[in-house]
Amino acid sequence: MYAFRTLRGQPLRLALTVGGVASCIVLMFFLLAVYRGAADGSVEYVRRNTADAWVLQKNATNILRGSSLVAAAQAEGIGRLPGVRSVASVLLLLSTLGKGGEARTIFLAGYEPEKGLGGPPELARGRTVRTDGEIVLDAAFARKFGFKTGDAVDLQGRRLEVVGLSRGTNAFVIQYAFVTLRFARTLVGIPGLATCFLVTAEAGADADAIRGRIRSGFPALEAYSQVEFLANNIREMRSGFLPLLYTVAALGAVVLTVILSLLLSVNILERRKDFAVLKILGSPLGFLWGLVVKQAILIATLSQAAAIVVFFPLAAVIERVAPEVSLKSSAGQILTVALAVELMSLGSSLVSIRRLRRIYYMEVFS
Amino acid sequence: MSGPGPADFIKGRAFDPPLARGFRPQASTAEKDPRTEPGALADPVVADAVVRLNRVTKTFNGSGPGTTALREVSIEVLPGEMVLLLGPSGSGKTTLLTLAAGLARPTAGSVTLFGRCVEHTPASELQRLRAKSIGFVFQTFLLIDALTAEENVALALRFAGGRRSERAGKARRLFYDLDIAPLARRLPRTMSQGEKQRVAIARALANDPALVLADEPTGSLETRQGFDVIRLLHGQAKARNAALIVASHDLRLKEFADRTLRLQDGALTGM
Repeated sequence: MYAFRTLRGQPLRLALTVGGVASCIVLMFFLLAVYRGAADGSVEYVRRNTADAWVLQKNATNILRGSSLVAAAQAEGIGRLPGVRSVASVLLLLSTLGKGGEARTIFLAGYEPEKGLGGPPELARGRTVRTDGEIVLDAAFARKFGFKTGDAVDLQGRRLEVVGLSRGTNAFVIQYAFVTLRFARTLVGIPGLATCFLVTAEAGADADAIRGRIRSGFPALEAYSQVEFLANNIREMRSGFLPLLYTVAALGAVVLTVILSLLLSVNILERRKDFAVLKILGSPLGFLWGLVVKQAILIATLSQAAAIVVFFPLAAVIERVAPEVSLKSSAGQILTVALAVELMSLGSSLVSIRRLRRIYYMEVFS
Repeated sequence: MSGPGPADFIKGRAFDPPLARGFRPQASTAEKDPRTEPGALADPVVADAVVRLNRVTKTFNGSGPGTTALREVSIEVLPGEMVLLLGPSGSGKTTLLTLAAGLARPTAGSVTLFGRCVEHTPASELQRLRAKSIGFVFQTFLLIDALTAEENVALALRFAGGRRSERAGKARRLFYDLDIAPLARRLPRTMSQGEKQRVAIARALANDPALVLADEPTGSLETRQGFDVIRLLHGQAKARNAALIVASHDLRLKEFADRTLRLQDGALTGM
């Protein structure tokens, strides 16, 4: 009661503090949502293209930050191995897409549509490519640069028609686009080149054994299970993303803790006569600590409520203004931040509580 | 706000003449260490004194030379007795009150509060003692601005260990007893000075204290308000048989006091 009333007694200061703390919380929500969006966008391609073996050049562990070049002819050899049903070749390369004289970088996946693997994980609009003159763009990329299905785009001097828009292909720093394998090879200029093979096993065949046969039969290649390869890509994505995320989140947490500590300390200093009187009246120290902790938790809770109210409309605006920023939030993320903020508020109250010791009885006497 | 006048209490008091107790001539104890002086502490004039200061000296040590606020002061206060401490600013009145409340420890001499030696009582126990047995009234009232009058009183009850369910009711009864029921739901900032001090008195009496300490209780009040407030405080303390020590420079309060002690430069100079 006292804790809340004291805060309410200074409405402007309370509003500013809640605003400051809420901004920090929004920053944390935002970072987590960006991380989740980028994480999903980065690995969704691998997750949704389920293969019994992902075959890459030896020592290449992922497609995000690794270079793998394999000879397409090896696909035929792998396809002849016992238990192998099909082998789909994929060629991944960075390219530039032009429209109206401007070039945009994309992560181009050339695949074999007829084999059903290596293509867009999900379509938001339109259809997949069928011929060499077609392209599927990431939906966020298309929204940002104003592409839509039916548009003609210029890819390294070749004219392509946008036939579809894909989802789960926005890796934050870059977006996927999909063309036929044959067309992708023409861009590179080297025939018979691929980045990886996606191998599917016949029904009842032992996928482990197939991967073993690939490794022994093709020493220059490495074969990963779907689970391994997905884990490799997630690990790679995290190693590039998480340090930045942690750094900014840590800064936000420090700012939040400092703001809260400052407010609580100022509140104690301003109310030092109250605290001294309470001490004189026989208040246990725990009661005084409790007041400060309650105030910290109150501010944190109010700030979280404000942050939640602000964040979702803000996220919608951000996604409209910057479509490549894919934000994904979950109840788990909100709860994680809520818990962290409550812990930080407890930390700030502990910092401020030290001031209570320096409040002396004599201060209240005339 | 009707109640017995000061004269009624003085005429009707049923205890010993206060001037016979407590005050010790300072000259006789000069240069003696009361802690080493045989008999100095084991010589209570009245065994059931609420508070007893025996040759108490209090020195505050700042960065420079220490300041002696009290010099070998000895007093005892009995239940139901009102002792008025008169003296100018800086004479040591407030220091004496803080020592009597167990808020400070003497530099020399001893303070006995409800039979306990303050110097040897842990701070946590003194805190409980204040919460349960001592009431405080301050010159500037020092009510908690954020709380209503009733909540201010309930807070003191909380510290005294009152049950949550009983606090509000007890606070309300006290407001009726003190004839300030209309103030119960009001915030201090909406009250006059006199009203605030009445609420402060209610807070001081909430825990049914055996000792009430008032520091310049009329200092911020107009003459009439001051008179009403001291009459209320005096009457309520008497009704509860609580010892009341009032520090003031207001000579008019002598009319209410059972005993008046004068302090000058930290020493008792007369009665």
